[in-house]
Amino acid sequence: MSQINIRRTLLLLLFPGGVFLCFFFLAPLLFVLVESFTGLDGGVTLQRYISVLKDPQFRQVYFRTLKIGLIVTPLAVLISYPSAYVINNLSVGRKSALMSLVILPLMTSPVARTFAWIIILGRFGLINQSLRALRLIDEPLRIMYTEGAIVIGLLQLFMPLMVLTLVSALENIPDEVEEAALSLGSGRVGCFFRVIVPLSFDGLIMGVTLVFTGCITAYVTPAILGGSRVLTLSTLMRQQALVLMNWEAATVIAVVMIATTLVLYNSLRLIRPKNL
Amino acid sequence: MKKSKALVLILILMLVFLLGPFLVIILSSFGSEALMKFPPKGFSLKWYDKVFNIKMFRTTFWISLKVGLLATGTALLLGIPVAYTVVRFRFPGKSVIELLFSSPAIVPGLVIGFSLLRFFIYVSNIPIIVGLYLGHTAILLPYTVRVVSASLRNFDPAVEDAAISLGSSRLFSFLSVILPNIRGGVVAAFILAFITSFNNIPVSLFLTGPGVATLPIQMLVYMEYYFDPTIAALSSILIVITVFIVQTAEKLLGISQYV
Amino acid sequence: MAFVELKNIEAGYVKGSPVLKSFSLSVEKGELLSLLGPSGCGKTTTLRTIAGFIMAEKGSVKIGGRDYTRIPPNKRNIGLVFQSYALFPHLSVFNNVAYGLRRRKVDRATIRRKVADVLKLVSLEHFEERLPSQLSGGQMQRVALARSIVIEPDLLLLDEPLSNLDAKLRVEMRAELSRLQRRLGITMIYVTHDQIEALSLSSRIIVINEGTIEQIGTPEVIYQKPATPFVARFMGFDNRLSGTVIRIQDDRVLVNVQGFEIKAILEKIAGLKRGHQVELFFRPDDAALVNEKRENILPVKVNYYNFQGNSIQYSVNCGESELNVVMVGKHDPQKSYEFLCVPADKLIVETRGGG
Repeated sequence: MSQINIRRTLLLLLFPGGVFLCFFFLAPLLFVLVESFTGLDGGVTLQRYISVLKDPQFRQVYFRTLKIGLIVTPLAVLISYPSAYVINNLSVGRKSALMSLVILPLMTSPVARTFAWIIILGRFGLINQSLRALRLIDEPLRIMYTEGAIVIGLLQLFMPLMVLTLVSALENIPDEVEEAALSLGSGRVGCFFRVIVPLSFDGLIMGVTLVFTGCITAYVTPAILGGSRVLTLSTLMRQQALVLMNWEAATVIAVVMIATTLVLYNSLRLIRPKNL
Repeated sequence: MKKSKALVLILILMLVFLLGPFLVIILSSFGSEALMKFPPKGFSLKWYDKVFNIKMFRTTFWISLKVGLLATGTALLLGIPVAYTVVRFRFPGKSVIELLFSSPAIVPGLVIGFSLLRFFIYVSNIPIIVGLYLGHTAILLPYTVRVVSASLRNFDPAVEDAAISLGSSRLFSFLSVILPNIRGGVVAAFILAFITSFNNIPVSLFLTGPGVATLPIQMLVYMEYYFDPTIAALSSILIVITVFIVQTAEKLLGISQYV
Repeated sequence: MAFVELKNIEAGYVKGSPVLKSFSLSVEKGELLSLLGPSGCGKTTTLRTIAGFIMAEKGSVKIGGRDYTRIPPNKRNIGLVFQSYALFPHLSVFNNVAYGLRRRKVDRATIRRKVADVLKLVSLEHFEERLPSQLSGGQMQRVALARSIVIEPDLLLLDEPLSNLDAKLRVEMRAELSRLQRRLGITMIYVTHDQIEALSLSSRIIVINEGTIEQIGTPEVIYQKPATPFVARFMGFDNRLSGTVIRIQDDRVLVNVQGFEIKAILEKIAGLKRGHQVELFFRPDDAALVNEKRENILPVKVNYYNFQGNSIQYSVNCGESELNVVMVGKHDPQKSYEFLCVPADKLIVETRGGG
């Protein structure tokens, strides 16, 4: 194909999808972005941002959201690394069987997935009933509508993402590397931290990015498990927009959410271990 | 370390944590009391009966199905040419194109739904179901592009060259040689995208309106008013269907590699 | 005029940095021409330019007198055989072979007959219903070959077709390709990085390096008289000695190497004068280790040897240079040697720093 022909082909292939996203993805986002800087008189203003950012409730919610992400992500790493390591060393058939189980929380209806936690964490749920049966408590513990409940729900939702990225990172490390490290006298734990972790580091960072940004933007889990008592950024935005009809605030929160996501997405990828 | 019992134990505990809740919800859907209690008391199928008797669940199920199928189909039609272009050609601005087609998966769904709502209200009065369809198509595009790209990358580009050298046009060689060989990837993309659409809440939340909701949104609404095992029963049905689809897709297509 | 003519081609994958620069070559009808060179030298780019997958930015491609420069690849009637076989995995052997005929709207009866004929030609007549995944590597490459010759192409291009096969099969397939080429008289251009393959198959070889032609010639000429240091090294002239020209007499040059006089036959270097620095190249198996003084000897010290069955490979030091010598036949590896001897007609002379 000549250069001109190639250009025509490329254009033809990319045009429909590109136009679609420009109209029904980019334009609306830009529209909201512009709207967030527009005052009542139509001029450019930071008024909306100032009033939202000054609001103590917003700040509390914003930092709570970050905090939840900061708790869920390391927990996910701690549990996923050993699990991914075991899964990766299984035979092809067993590995595929396990992976199809691990991804279930990602594939199941979010309402179903989260509703299960109500039954477990609720006033008459599995945990409270068991503790009472063991006579460890007299009054049911309040677990629902706490940050803890949100952490548990998000951990179940996003751990599969971490396991998936770690398994595919571990897949790319040849078995011989680990055997070589062991034969050279590295202890098993030392081998893990000095050989396996550095070699799967890109996957780890990818997983951390996905889980952390996921936690910050998740809606259903905090909506059901946190309710209106423990708001996060997304449930606050929904409340402002659909309950309080405060579109100005919702717009600003939307922009703050995108900005936070993008900053995290781009800065986390810059992390590199020193000796690599 | 390969056979360490401690590590295997962590894996098992993780699986219990990930999958146990599904078992809990299925068990409690058979309870006879209206109070959500675990372990449930008695045995009854009345909640299942109730699920099928609530008209809103039926209506919204069909809306979800319709929107899911249409949006997935559109996202495949738009996404396959993009995947092909990105895998087969080198061209200036390629990274921008790749970024554009992955960003609907990076930008929070809630923000996409909210923006579309503001945009639709401002630009024109688009019917709710059309708005849903457009919004869902936008968020499914990254999935179709990514999954189809992955299976195209595994396919020897020389095969296409062979077909062209034997007299096929580029389009015909795609249809006669490439498509039949990446059909597994296309089906995987279809399943993943459809499940994503069918389960979506953040985008739909702002795009649903009076009378027109998707099933997950309707479930949320129901939960605000009633707190009985009906949702557990409906959830159990959805869980069983999902498990069936995922297990079949894993056996036939190895779907977990595409997630 | 030659059957295939490339004139002043400039082509590549990225605009502005062409792999081929003012590249020209011609192929005669019925010839098997090899493009030989290391990976990344531009031989595959040349092939893809002839096939039409890369459109030349400058220059022209002519086949059979017709200008093909702007003709798309699917309208060229050129057969292609790939290293990866590139069979259509979802189609049976029959349908793979019939694919090109169907595009040419050949009627069904003719397709049946032609496919059967060509499968017989590559000895796969009972494999029509098999899928590619049910074939061995050698069988797959035969199907690929059948698929590309059944359309009776004007030209057959083969891109490293044997490099995915094991050594034994490679030799068999080489013989078979040779037989097919003679029988059908198809013009073929054969890309390879394997000297032996090129030497044993081709009527002519073109050695390419970094997008330019180093040498064109028959296998004998390329093997015995490499025109450039690059070709020499590529053809196994692994040993190099530096020296100074003492005098030139007719086609002979006398070179001082570490105080010894070495005679060599001068092929083509014009303007070589007394006092010029030159380099001498020779193959490990063209030299011998000896103990008696004779013409063209250099003092050496044996470093170590490798017993290789019917030959012994010696590593020797000659002044500063480390050289390889292979002695074929029965020798006593323990025996010590004083001198290295290279016949004058086995030495290649290059000006210092050339290439």
